[in-house]
Amino acid sequence: MAPSARQGAEGARAIRERAGNTLDSSLIVAQFISGLTSAMTLFLVASGLTLIFGVVNVFNFAHGSFYLLGAYFAYQVVAVSGVGFWAGVLLASLGAGAAGVLMEYFFLRRIYGRSGEAGFQILLTYSFILILDDVVKMIWGTDYKSISKPEALAGPLSVGEVTMPRYDLVVIAIGLAVAVGMWAAIRKTRFGRNLRAISSNREMASSLGVNVPLTLSLVFGLATALGGLSGAIAAPVRTVTPGAGIEVIIGSLIVVVIGGLGNFWGALVGALVIGEVTAFGILFLPQWAILFSYAVMALVLVFRPEGLLMKKGNAR
Amino acid sequence: MDRSCGMWAKGLALGFALLLCGADVALAAEKIVIGAMYPMTGRAGRYGIDSVSAAEIAMNEINAKGGVNGRMIDIIFNDSKANPAYSIKVAKRYITEDKVNFLMGVVSSAVGLAVTEVSKENKVIFVGTDHASTALTTEKFQPYYFRVSNNTYQSAAAAALYAKDKKDWKKYYVIGPDYEYGHRTWEDFWMLLGKKRTDVQLVGQAWPKLFEPDYTPYITAILNAKPDVLVTTFWGGDTVAFIKQALPYKLFDKMKFYNYDAGGNYELLEAMPTGLPGGLVLSARHHLNWPDTKLNKEFVDNFKAKTGRYPSYAAEGAYAGVYFIAEGVRQAGTAEDPDKLVAVMEKLKFKLPEDPEGFMSYMRPIDHQIVQVQAIGETVPDKSFPPATMMLGNWKVFKAEDIIPSVEEIEAARKAVKK
Repeated sequence: MAPSARQGAEGARAIRERAGNTLDSSLIVAQFISGLTSAMTLFLVASGLTLIFGVVNVFNFAHGSFYLLGAYFAYQVVAVSGVGFWAGVLLASLGAGAAGVLMEYFFLRRIYGRSGEAGFQILLTYSFILILDDVVKMIWGTDYKSISKPEALAGPLSVGEVTMPRYDLVVIAIGLAVAVGMWAAIRKTRFGRNLRAISSNREMASSLGVNVPLTLSLVFGLATALGGLSGAIAAPVRTVTPGAGIEVIIGSLIVVVIGGLGNFWGALVGALVIGEVTAFGILFLPQWAILFSYAVMALVLVFRPEGLLMKKGNAR
Repeated sequence: MDRSCGMWAKGLALGFALLLCGADVALAAEKIVIGAMYPMTGRAGRYGIDSVSAAEIAMNEINAKGGVNGRMIDIIFNDSKANPAYSIKVAKRYITEDKVNFLMGVVSSAVGLAVTEVSKENKVIFVGTDHASTALTTEKFQPYYFRVSNNTYQSAAAAALYAKDKKDWKKYYVIGPDYEYGHRTWEDFWMLLGKKRTDVQLVGQAWPKLFEPDYTPYITAILNAKPDVLVTTFWGGDTVAFIKQALPYKLFDKMKFYNYDAGGNYELLEAMPTGLPGGLVLSARHHLNWPDTKLNKEFVDNFKAKTGRYPSYAAEGAYAGVYFIAEGVRQAGTAEDPDKLVAVMEKLKFKLPEDPEGFMSYMRPIDHQIVQVQAIGETVPDKSFPPATMMLGNWKVFKAEDIIPSVEEIEAARKAVKK
């Protein structure tokens, strides 16, 4: 009904009333925690994306598909095979990492250094989104899958006035642990040194005896395992369905653009900014919620196109 | 795995059929050919795959009884890719090359709006089986279009009647996907409820993007607004994700959860074998356990026997589509004269699995929209359709005539567009 729908819209507008947001401190804390949870899930995917870009110099469009694989592997191991939840999450990340290594070894490796590499990369990694989506659909079908959270984490935790899901707190802890662990791996280990050497000059690193192909495969495996980890821990709270990979890659792309493409800490900062800006945006202006993350990205692109954490003129 | 192999086999079979169709011309002339389009990929893929299976069941049932006026039904399937431009190509190819007598299908309303234009131009009848946008039967109506599943207006109207009697539902909050379907489903409801109740108010609204994976920040904002009722216009996995994320906040203890158009689809009940709360108020275009009739039981059981799973609601729409075409051809005595068919089909009355005892779905000449009874239920423990552990129960049933727009309203809507 065109006229009645229009009346409906007007009626809705007439009755529309700003939510009576009584802004007490408990609400602000709850909203901050929910923003932090979103941020950590985003960070796990975005950190892998940025790592691959920084070291391997590939923009992996298919990165979200490893999130998808992680979620389905977790479903398979936990809900079908009955393995414990955390063991399942670990196996799912390892599985996604293994799939990542295979993709790098058999496909991506073949196009390194080709002229017009960027075009090949986009086509190849994009086609993997479609391939992996279809593989998932063939194996698991199109219906929505579910995993239960561990019993102990299913409920809320109430501290004073604030109610927060226990599981979310664990997700935040995992995200922070990964951030610290990755920092240590990059700064303090031999692998991290090789990785930084390759990132600044691949030929030089190679001539100094760094096994470049092996390191690149490992980086790819590590990054895709992080994507898989994100998918596995998101599986109990999100929709496990083919196509979920594409939805997270867009969010992750915004995060890495804000933080600086190729910058590991940038991914963390970008994820925190997006998570919290979205959470508080929703609190104040829920009907414009979608706008905020894009607005932040646009502002960064205009005023600091290299990303928040990148030095000007420094590629990575 | 089996299902996908089946799909591959179907694809191959279709390929061979196309190769052989030159030799098949003599036979094809006698068959009633339906060109069907359903999405096989993406989030709506489940609806497409279920629709194909249900259409095949209907075709086999009719053909096993000797067809229609001695002619067999043949359905050609193609992936609509949920893409309007692509679907136009498929529809045109069906008409010019495959010489189909009817077009059928389509889950997305955007695709439906595209295909109805092809139908109008070529005077080939298009039977809509799942897409729900009211525009197809009002503003964008054309005489060769028919819809055999209810539209969003009908479910919104039933929902308004349901809500009217809930005296303690006063403060509403709405959250839904930010596109035509999400908004329209809500606005029709709110407009109709506003005519019946003056004491209701909207305390907040949020429109996340379609397929948003993370609703947590919305949930805390909703809790803060303290509504009596949370209306959601999500469908499919978005409902699943929202419920999963709202559970630890005990949102369902604090307000009623109301999703009257797509929330009661079996795919949701099936996706949450543990944790789905009781007392959610939901509906859908077809229910496995309502009405409790022989025809509905047979439909559900046959579908399960053929595919190994229970159908989502799109299936019954496709099943209805094939029967609608068969009945139209039988009464008109032709599959080739579209105008004669339209004259018969717009007055058709026929029995469907979703019709309760003593009622038959019927087509309305003014908008070619099927008129059906609508039932809204609450989630209650029920393990009759595993893996689901909750099904809908405590039904409230709304008469078909009470939930359709009046002829005057439709004419006014069409006039408003012409201006």
